[in-house]
Amino acid sequence: MLRLNQNRLGWFVSLALCILVLFPLAAVIVQVLLPGVFFGDWKLGDLRLLLELFNRPLWLKSLENSVLLASGTTLLAALLGGSLAMARATWRFPTARLLDAAVWGLLITPSFILAQGWVMFAAGGGLAVKLLGWSWVTPAVFQPAGLVVVMTLSKFPLAYLSVYAAMEWKVEQLAEAARLCGASAWRVWRTVQAPLLLPAFLAGAALVFMDTVGDFGLPASIAAVYRFPTLPYSIYSALYTSPIRFDMAGVLSFYLVLLISLAMLLQFYVMRKSRFDFLSARAIPAEPKPAGRLTPLLTIGNLLFLLVVVGIPIGTNVLMSLFRTQSGGFTLDNLTFAHYVSLFADHSQLLAGLGRSLLIASVSALAGLALGVAVSFVLTYSRFRFKRWIEVMSLVTLAVPGVVLGIGYIFVWNQAWLEKIGLLLYGKPAILVLASVAGAVPVITRIMVGAMAKVPNTLLDAAQMQGGSLLNRVRLILAPLIRGALLSAALAAFGSSVFDLAVNAILFPPNFFTLPVSINKAFEDLNFGYASAATMLGGGTVILIILLLEMLLRRKVART
Amino acid sequence: MKKTKTKLTGISLLLATTMMIVSACGASGNNAANGGAQPSASPSTESASPSETTPASETPSPEVQDEGTLTVYLNDFDDIIGPMFEAATGYKVELVKGNGAEIMSRIQAEKGNPHWDVVWLDAMPSIYGMGEDNQLLTDWTPDNAANLKDSYQAYVPANKSFYPTGAHAAGVIVYNTNAYTADQAPNSWDDFAKPEFKNAVGMADPAIAAPAFPFVARFFSEKQLDGGQAFFDSLFANGLKVYPKNPNVAAALSSGEIKAAALQESNAYGLVNSGEPIGIIWPEDGAPASVRVAAIQKNTKNPNAAKAFVNFLLDPATQQQLIDQGDESYFEPSVPGVNPKADRAADANLVAADAAWAFEHEAEIKQWFADKAVK
Repeated sequence: MLRLNQNRLGWFVSLALCILVLFPLAAVIVQVLLPGVFFGDWKLGDLRLLLELFNRPLWLKSLENSVLLASGTTLLAALLGGSLAMARATWRFPTARLLDAAVWGLLITPSFILAQGWVMFAAGGGLAVKLLGWSWVTPAVFQPAGLVVVMTLSKFPLAYLSVYAAMEWKVEQLAEAARLCGASAWRVWRTVQAPLLLPAFLAGAALVFMDTVGDFGLPASIAAVYRFPTLPYSIYSALYTSPIRFDMAGVLSFYLVLLISLAMLLQFYVMRKSRFDFLSARAIPAEPKPAGRLTPLLTIGNLLFLLVVVGIPIGTNVLMSLFRTQSGGFTLDNLTFAHYVSLFADHSQLLAGLGRSLLIASVSALAGLALGVAVSFVLTYSRFRFKRWIEVMSLVTLAVPGVVLGIGYIFVWNQAWLEKIGLLLYGKPAILVLASVAGAVPVITRIMVGAMAKVPNTLLDAAQMQGGSLLNRVRLILAPLIRGALLSAALAAFGSSVFDLAVNAILFPPNFFTLPVSINKAFEDLNFGYASAATMLGGGTVILIILLLEMLLRRKVART
Repeated sequence: MKKTKTKLTGISLLLATTMMIVSACGASGNNAANGGAQPSASPSTESASPSETTPASETPSPEVQDEGTLTVYLNDFDDIIGPMFEAATGYKVELVKGNGAEIMSRIQAEKGNPHWDVVWLDAMPSIYGMGEDNQLLTDWTPDNAANLKDSYQAYVPANKSFYPTGAHAAGVIVYNTNAYTADQAPNSWDDFAKPEFKNAVGMADPAIAAPAFPFVARFFSEKQLDGGQAFFDSLFANGLKVYPKNPNVAAALSSGEIKAAALQESNAYGLVNSGEPIGIIWPEDGAPASVRVAAIQKNTKNPNAAKAFVNFLLDPATQQQLIDQGDESYFEPSVPGVNPKADRAADANLVAADAAWAFEHEAEIKQWFADKAVK
């Protein structure tokens, strides 16, 4: 009699993560040991390559820069995203919805587009200098601290969403008890409310760390003006050589995984000290209170903030999509809608690609949600032996550059024997879905873990005592309590997979162009206007879909 | 207990359905990439409308039947080459487009079970390396190879593993016309080291940008490794800015952040044609060339279509059409009787590094540049 219990769920989740993440990644890292293993060649590789990290100036510098950039960004983005989420969840003020939209927009916009926007704004001949005459912007942005700030302003949405999702429910009596004992509002926040949000803060911080450490778009674009090689940069340069050095990419990926594991270990150490499950039957859905005197302050602050984080990178891109020539600048006769018109003109290759990308992203968001919830459940409630492994595996794809994962997918899914059992997935669209799910799992899992941390095991145990099956417990008790987080997670996964370039570029089947591949092609052919217009069209469509789903489903949450 | 089981079956069903939907998408979107159960797509005689572009040279009765649809990996001309080839020969073709590095990554990762039949890239050294690695069909001569200009015959390696279809400048000198007049602009590569161009010059990073390697390779092969390093050191000392890719160079040039650059030929003419204030100078000492070559995979399952494709690329009518309608239309054709773009400089002087030499030193040269990125 097969009964789905927590242990079986643990094994199921491990297997799924092995197939989606571990095998492909291991296939690349094993290149260090056995470079020809997938081509029937059992020659040993040169293991000294592992220590080369400390000999090669580029590699060492890359490691240093990656650690610096990622830790700085993590700290700032967790603080920024977390505080914004708390302000948004506590007070009601006009323009608050705009903040949500901006967060989603930033989350799904590919980092190279954001980076390009910042570069065009801040570079020597950029908008800041030309239009506004702010010559101080250039040196301020193009230095390590400046990069950390730009990165923070691009990555804070991960922390924001994590904390915001965790504030969906609150147990007023905890705060009320403290107030009754004479604590000030500030003291209550500092000693009761903030500590309870710690898991969500840390989850958000972890996401920011991984996403930053593995980001190629921003360092590469900024490198145009200011040399700042990071680990992903070095990985690319190992692949962009001939003969291709998969073994070098393997070594550097190995160190990336090591970095992530260290970060996870740190998080685990901090979290171990206390319990954070505080939801009880007295919990109520959190409703923002009117901000009162603070309203004008919050509104103006919010608008100014949005002007910087969205206005600069995305605004610059919008301008680019409207400029006839990039150097023509902001004059009336240089403005045109021609790039948008051309999106619909050329055999609608682009629209077909957009359709495919949306379909793949929807399937993978749903599949990813199912897997992500299972992973988070195991991490939060089970005593499964290999929990820590599952946790690392569930995050790794965020930090490892997509191109590395893509190559791993080819190694794994292109072995001749798979053909006999019909599983030779490389060359079929199914592989894009698999890779997309792998890419979506980290975001989903982090958001879900943050939300589940507040739901005590006892609520589930009580149901189990009454004979509720695991699925029923999840469906009837857990799911309603974390419904907002479920929605956030699915939408985040959907949005970010639409634009997942690296995996798409390596894995797309013949004649099966997707949106990011088309955008990148336009960009590499120097059709900046077309590339920006395509990004705006794709991004706009995705944001509309997300906001629509938010409105339809979020309201339902509030009513129930 | 029973209930749990039903639930579990439900989940499995859901998963199975998802998988089926996914693979159904696969079946309709694509069906030949892995040379699977697709019936032979042999040339359909009735559909082969012999247009004026048709090469009149196909082998009449192939000994081996093709097993699937021809799959070509390429980095340019994907907009037009498919229909052109299908109309001319009746063979169906599927394309995988990527930048040079993406295509090479795919090819190398697929090595155990290749999905491609023909590769057509402007990366002669890398493809030469594949020939040395025994991955390419050798000792086959397309009928149209007899057409090749002498300078292009010289590129064909001894084992005949690839054929050149044209070449373009991996770098020409471009300058912002708002900053310099044609007289003030640098007009030889050595000028990049002159004090008047301090901090004003940019180029793409050979460690990241595929077209940038043939550019630097030419200097290294001409001046030897030490001389090449000394040359680029003199440019670095003069504040040379290295951007990851050609588009970044172009953007920096348009924005005025740099005033001159070494830029890939099509990109340079593309900027001029889109109205950017850019001037182009072909240096007298020659512009380093990037040679586009086509090669057939050693164990291709579609040898007839693959050979037809390579032969088709060497047809003057094909190369003329690529110049007239293609996206990378600024190039020097490899066969005579083809007119390059009218606005392409008549005295364009292309010089290429020897493929074998460039392949042998590629890793070394790229690493030298990559480590320079640190300093």
